[in-house]
Amino acid sequence: MPSYNAPLRDMRFVLHEVLGVGNYQNLPGFEDASPDTVDAVIEEGAKFAQEVLQPINQSGDREGCKWDAGNVTTPKGFKEAYKQYCEGGWTGLTSLKEYGGQGLPYYVGVLLSEIVTSANMAWGMYPGLSHGAYEAIAAHGSDELKKTYLPKLVSGEWTGTMNLTEPHCGTDLGLMRTKAEPQPDGSYRITGTKIFISAGEHDMTDNIVHLVLAKIVGGPEGIRGVSLFIVPKFLPNADGSPGERNGVSCGSIEHKMGIKANATAVLNYDNAKGWLVGKAHKGMRGMFTMMNAARLGVGVQGLGLAEVSYQNGLAYAKERVQGRSLGGIKAPDKAADPIIVHPDVRRMLLTCKAFTEGARMLTYWAGLNVDLAHKHPDAMARREADDLLGLITPIVKAYQTDMGFECANLAMQCLGGHGYIAEWGMEQFVRDARIAQIYEGANGVQALDLVGRKLPANMGRSLRTFFHPLDAFLKEQAADAAMKDFIGPLLRAFGRLQQATALIAEKGMADAEEAGAASSDYLRLFALTAVGWMWAKMARVAIDKLAAGGGEDPGFYRTKLATARFFMERMLPDTASLQQKIQAGKRTLMELDAAAF
Amino acid sequence: MSAFKKVAVLGSGVMGGGIAAHVANAGIPVMLLDIVPQGANNRNQLAEAALGRLKKTNPAALMSDRAAGLIQPGNFEDDLSRIGDCDWIVEAVIERVDLKQELYRKVAAAMKPTAIVSSNTSTIPLGTLVEGLPEAFANRFAITHFFNPPRYMRLLEVVKGPRTEDDVLPALRRFGDVALGKAVIDCKDTPGFVGNRIGIFWSTVAMSQAMSLGLTVEEADSVVGKPMGIPKTGIFGLGDLTGIDLAPHVSASMLKLLPPDDPYCKIYDANGQLAQTIQWMIGQGLTGRKGKGGFYRQDKAADGSRTRLTLDYATRTYRPTRRAELASVKAARKGLRALVEHPDKGGQYAWAVLSRVLAYAAELAPEIANSIADVDTAMKTGYAWKWGPFEQLDLVGPKWFADRLRAEGKPVPRLIEAVGAGTFYKEEGAARLIFTPEGRYAELKPAAGAWKLADVKRGKQPVLSNKGASIWDLGDGVACLELHTKMNAIDANIVAMVREAAKLDKKGFKALVIGHDGDNFSVGANIGLGLFAANTAMWPVIEQNIKEGQDAYRALRNAPFPVVGAPSGMALGGGCEILMHCDAVQAHAESYIGLVEVGVGLIPGWGGTTTLLTRWMQNAKRPQGPMPAISQAFEIIGTAQVARSAAEAKEKLLLRPSDGITMNRDRVLADAKAKALAMVPGYKPAEPAEIFLPGATARTALAMAVEGFRLQGKATPHDVTVMAALARVLSGGDVDILDPVKETDLLALERAVFLSLIKTNATLDRIEHMLTTGKPLRN
Repeated sequence: MPSYNAPLRDMRFVLHEVLGVGNYQNLPGFEDASPDTVDAVIEEGAKFAQEVLQPINQSGDREGCKWDAGNVTTPKGFKEAYKQYCEGGWTGLTSLKEYGGQGLPYYVGVLLSEIVTSANMAWGMYPGLSHGAYEAIAAHGSDELKKTYLPKLVSGEWTGTMNLTEPHCGTDLGLMRTKAEPQPDGSYRITGTKIFISAGEHDMTDNIVHLVLAKIVGGPEGIRGVSLFIVPKFLPNADGSPGERNGVSCGSIEHKMGIKANATAVLNYDNAKGWLVGKAHKGMRGMFTMMNAARLGVGVQGLGLAEVSYQNGLAYAKERVQGRSLGGIKAPDKAADPIIVHPDVRRMLLTCKAFTEGARMLTYWAGLNVDLAHKHPDAMARREADDLLGLITPIVKAYQTDMGFECANLAMQCLGGHGYIAEWGMEQFVRDARIAQIYEGANGVQALDLVGRKLPANMGRSLRTFFHPLDAFLKEQAADAAMKDFIGPLLRAFGRLQQATALIAEKGMADAEEAGAASSDYLRLFALTAVGWMWAKMARVAIDKLAAGGGEDPGFYRTKLATARFFMERMLPDTASLQQKIQAGKRTLMELDAAAF
Repeated sequence: MSAFKKVAVLGSGVMGGGIAAHVANAGIPVMLLDIVPQGANNRNQLAEAALGRLKKTNPAALMSDRAAGLIQPGNFEDDLSRIGDCDWIVEAVIERVDLKQELYRKVAAAMKPTAIVSSNTSTIPLGTLVEGLPEAFANRFAITHFFNPPRYMRLLEVVKGPRTEDDVLPALRRFGDVALGKAVIDCKDTPGFVGNRIGIFWSTVAMSQAMSLGLTVEEADSVVGKPMGIPKTGIFGLGDLTGIDLAPHVSASMLKLLPPDDPYCKIYDANGQLAQTIQWMIGQGLTGRKGKGGFYRQDKAADGSRTRLTLDYATRTYRPTRRAELASVKAARKGLRALVEHPDKGGQYAWAVLSRVLAYAAELAPEIANSIADVDTAMKTGYAWKWGPFEQLDLVGPKWFADRLRAEGKPVPRLIEAVGAGTFYKEEGAARLIFTPEGRYAELKPAAGAWKLADVKRGKQPVLSNKGASIWDLGDGVACLELHTKMNAIDANIVAMVREAAKLDKKGFKALVIGHDGDNFSVGANIGLGLFAANTAMWPVIEQNIKEGQDAYRALRNAPFPVVGAPSGMALGGGCEILMHCDAVQAHAESYIGLVEVGVGLIPGWGGTTTLLTRWMQNAKRPQGPMPAISQAFEIIGTAQVARSAAEAKEKLLLRPSDGITMNRDRVLADAKAKALAMVPGYKPAEPAEIFLPGATARTALAMAVEGFRLQGKATPHDVTVMAALARVLSGGDVDILDPVKETDLLALERAVFLSLIKTNATLDRIEHMLTTGKPLRN
């Protein structure tokens, strides 16, 4: 059975030693987030995840959710864990105090969700989606809607969902058929079918708040006619308690490859009563608020699964003795050496380690920028944070979920045949990780978002928030011999990214297919450069700490530097081949007729 | 250059004043006379008031302060006696035959016998105007019909009477063409001449058909607008611009003059929706932009926000303006034919207008003009159509047009029958042919000294060419560098071709002209590509671009042969800098030149800062000491001044005092070529300048000036940064007043300062804002 220990030391390193989140405490919305508080929160969260959530991960997977006549039963222990989670105040950790939340910064929520995902991804999605619904209503809902729904979502009394997909439309929401008919009382009647609704039906709360995209009858065609509605499972009574059953029912739940303990529902809306959130026909605006946060959240899932997979692969590699080291016997007292002596096993483990630690820094940095984008008192600082976030979100989502899956695979590989056996738990990580590459906008769509929307927006302004500080960092560090191992490779990757960006800006403006052909490779090139920068920054801190004696644990910093070097020498060079692929253009991709395939 | 040494304009209304201003723009003294108002203290009140208006109008009627000084206001009672030394007397008084004739009699008594008199009447036939006047007067009389505003509208229609002597028209044509820069066409003495005859019919058809086919105002303007080669205001927007109240006068006079079987009389319906709507609008004071609004209006809410409203002519109420989205308008991207063949109401409307107007023009052409080319010229230069009627027929195909008329049971004009399956214009080798009413093709030759680059290019291959620029052989050993990117924005291709052009002596050329037929010489560097490079911190690439531009431009100046710039329209930023590196410039009078880089938070980096500074430093007329010269350059660059004419550009030394000005757009290249050839004998490239600059002390003085601007609220925070950077270059950097500053030092400073600015967020925000909105950001 797999195990999980939250990487608290590494989390603290990123938060305090590299990002210096304590420096932001003077900004509005950060007041309560002293380093001590944040540390205490993640320690408590880690305890809860390790003791309550992790033990029901494997059993939840085995048992799955059960559908019976429209009702869904979650696996054993899920409901109880959720109750405990609510009682601990975790559901409202980063929600506003006026709705009963604790008002901590967004980035603290990012840390918690990494821990929760590592412990039990399927369970984590129930409260995770609630928070997405909270964000959309808080940003776009009327005061009355906020008053009715936000306190319930914050306390966890009710959960929330996002309803976009229909049987015939996923990525292309303009094709949507679900319709909303205006009623004299200002509400709407919603009719249609939504599928793939995570946490769409369950037995953990006595009400569920569905956020539903639908087209108001008589509105504009296509995506410009889409509006966002709140449709509760039970219509709230005046006192806030769930009342009459609304016209929404769960037709079935899907049989899936992974996250089996999370109910993926087909929801049938039949004249269900709903209320408009935000302006009519501007539903995508509200949905984007949820989607941006959700995409970052999915990127965190990639990180969380890579971490837990790595921990278990590592434990096995240290214990499992088999064969002898190529460089001479390492454990003469044993029948064989532990397999961690082998270079190729180390390659797999270090890939996981270098990814997780680098991506952790990238993720927390993105999370911090969510706070800055919303709360910084200076408008220019808010704009810059928002630009950076727009740029980095598709990268975090696509790269980290691709790597989450890859690391789960590599870690499973370390276990040999046992990795393929369910009892060991490794194949569950692989199955669970796979969905993150698909949902919330498939990774190919993320790449298109990056080259088609984020790059050209405001004539490439977002790029500035990444390229300028990185350029300045490289210049600043260039003279320091201690940084040589990191700055050289990063400089080369940065140059490749600059050239690829210029190429896409020039070719892609004239021919959108060229941009499309480059998109996935470009996203990966961008991601590697970004993580390379994170590693260089971490290396800088580690070097400084070691120069100052290394404190209580100099080994931690030495390991950091070694891992940073691994990333620079064995992961970052992929940028060279990516650049070549980008330069190749669309020709070979588009040459064949569909019939010739 | 002109046979007319002095001119008199009688009548100081909008047209009279505008004509006088434009004569003055040509550098010729002009008397502007009008009546003495009853009981006036100042007998010149009307003409002086007109002159005051001319100095303030926007767009400017006058090209320079000097031109304003050439206008002498006066009155009919005291000053007509002084017109005896005028070579040309233009009458532009109110359209009443009795008043005009009364004035003509006085003019006849005062004018010299060789002078020419012309009327700017737009509707009264020449025969009527000279009826009963002495033979000697009628012999010297013609019609010269200008379009409003006279400085900017290129059409000049001239009409000769049976008694007009043979030397009159050639003199008017020559003066109109060379001195005033007009497209002069000979018209027959028929109502409305050419432009208005077709134009009035067209606007009536376009508005009334929109109403009968039930298109909204926006829908109509989206069709009879850019897709049909009409200015983007569209037909109703154009009505608002010219004034709704004009319409009844125009139609009344046309109805009076035209024979009743003229198609205009048939389509004009005094009880129809159009006439009724216009009558109602005038009654409501809705006379267009000058009144309380027209088909469109702006409503200002209490909070200062503006809403654009459109007239719903059916209900006579205003509603918020809606963007028209017609499939036919999208289809029009494939051409005019695709538009009129589209089945939606926009396509039907386009055909309803096009079929009537082109048939009318084709039917009338032989009766009102000497050639179909004149008809096309009239509509293009008098009504700003992109294509004349016969060019439109060629676009859709005359045979297709005739077939469709026939299928609809409508008569096909004889001229269109005659052209058959051919086209009205065609090219054969280097020749351009035109279909004549006699049913054959004749060669359409450009007038001597008035050719376009297109005439040179026809049937030929360029000497060198890339995506951004080409080099052509103009003959006589002169080459022409043509820019042809979008808006002629300067990119790496153009810079590469400039580099090639500087080596043209190796290919046997002895002089170079830089110019082309485009509307704008160049709007400056392509900052879109630069912005991406800057956003991605590609500083070495940017630095290299700056260096390559400087080197290419300097190579041009140092080339062993003369280089003459031939701009027209906008020559801004990097485009202006090309001109500043030419050995001479022959500019179209309508050239708008400026170093506008500070608008996007930069300074001129391709040698513009250095060259302007050097010009002011070497200006013979400047006061002692370097500061006045530095301050001039500082102000011109620091406030992004754009000269609104070539004459004004000379005042700012963006052009040299010795640079030439050509009034007629079509003569710019020929004049530039002549200038280049004249410079060939004994040509030596200019020596690089060395100047003495005061360094830090000058910066201190300029900084104080900037601080003053800031305190007055004239300079934004980033203006202060940019101006300080500019001051660094103009002061010579860290130099001592006693050491000469070399040009190469100043260029290095330009580069360094440019790079420091483009690394700032505020500059990049300015560039982004300019690219997305077309307006400068004041951050």
